[in-house]
Amino acid sequence: MENIIKFNLNGKETVYTGSPSARLLDVLREDYRLIGTKCGCKEGECGACSVIMDGRLVNSCMVAMGRANGSSIMTIEGYRETERFAALDKAYAEVSAVQCGFCIPGMILASECLLAKNPNPTAEEIREGISGNLCRCTGYNAIVKAITIASEGGRGLW
Amino acid sequence: MVKSYLASSLEEALELRGKFDLIPYCGGTDLMIDDDEERAYLFLHQVPELKGLNEDDEYIRIGAACTFTELLESRLTPAILKNAVSQIAAPAIRNLGTVGGNIGNGSPKADTALIFFVTDSKVRLMSSKGQRTVPISRLYLGRNKLDLKPDELITEVLMPKHGLDNYYYKKIGARRALAISRLSFAGLMKAENGRITSFATAFGAITDVILRRDDLDNLFIGKTLDEAKAVKDEYIKAYDKAIVPIQGRISAEYRKDVCMNLLKDFLDSMGI
Repeated sequence: MENIIKFNLNGKETVYTGSPSARLLDVLREDYRLIGTKCGCKEGECGACSVIMDGRLVNSCMVAMGRANGSSIMTIEGYRETERFAALDKAYAEVSAVQCGFCIPGMILASECLLAKNPNPTAEEIREGISGNLCRCTGYNAIVKAITIASEGGRGLW
Repeated sequence: MVKSYLASSLEEALELRGKFDLIPYCGGTDLMIDDDEERAYLFLHQVPELKGLNEDDEYIRIGAACTFTELLESRLTPAILKNAVSQIAAPAIRNLGTVGGNIGNGSPKADTALIFFVTDSKVRLMSSKGQRTVPISRLYLGRNKLDLKPDELITEVLMPKHGLDNYYYKKIGARRALAISRLSFAGLMKAENGRITSFATAFGAITDVILRRDDLDNLFIGKTLDEAKAVKDEYIKAYDKAIVPIQGRISAEYRKDVCMNLLKDFLDSMGI
């Protein structure tokens, strides 16, 4: 493999020429300065580094750059340009579902992937959808409520 | 710089695997935990031959690069496997992790491997020189040690289609999402015309290799439920001897107690 990795990053065709075994998380933050993707645990347990890869939520700490070849990656910076983000943003704000905010980029992307698959989730389904995203401030109830509000208010968006 | 390779066909993947010393990389969820930029990987996610599920008369054929999410979404996936996969980690991990990696990692805690053990599934291994299909129990030599030659790749799992309906599965972990199995158990029974025609049990995460004692399970084959009940104590005693859990983060004694409780609960649930 010539170390040329091609992927789409937030809608832009991108060529990466560093190590194929580097972590996507580190490359996003350090090479592309997309620091909305947070580093929590580096072992796939906390979800702070969640990004959307080919339409599915993944932990970017669990992805080597070679694995990203040929894929489309959306980070919170790309997602925030969407109408769906605006609906989630409003809903999270409405019920104060954000405290320190560290988990929120990942939590928002997890919310998106959940709603894209299931536009009218039950509270139980929401909890399952965000089960890989740890939040140490809110106790989750406000987040579950926010996703419910976004789902109800955002009909037609998902 | 260490060279990694990206394969776009199975032929290319096998050729690269035979030529260089590369670590097969599919989902990456086990490999990336202790990632090292000096590692040389063989990236397999763009090999079409390793993807998807198929079926024939006898088997569900699961491509090694099939992710856990794909297993959950496929109508071909048997319920016992779906049940186990739905309890693996959280969605983001299930979107990456693959069947081939779950087996290839060689861990006795691998949740899909347990199901492949209890169903006596087979694994297809290929190299540029040829291929072989082995029962999964023969693939595992020890903890993190597989009978996988340096030029071979795991390409497919052949899971028997029939006799899987009447199953029992329990996973014991600490936190529901993301929990690594501390102990897991699967059991299967099939009866025809009042007689037990197949009976299988397997324990995960208690010994170096998933424990599958078909020699003990065979005690029930050909028996009616009443006849099975008559030899139940004998079976439990034999298993009690067979289970010698390793000491891990939790005590061997705890593991042993839970194993025996699960085994008895399985027998009860099957009417034995």
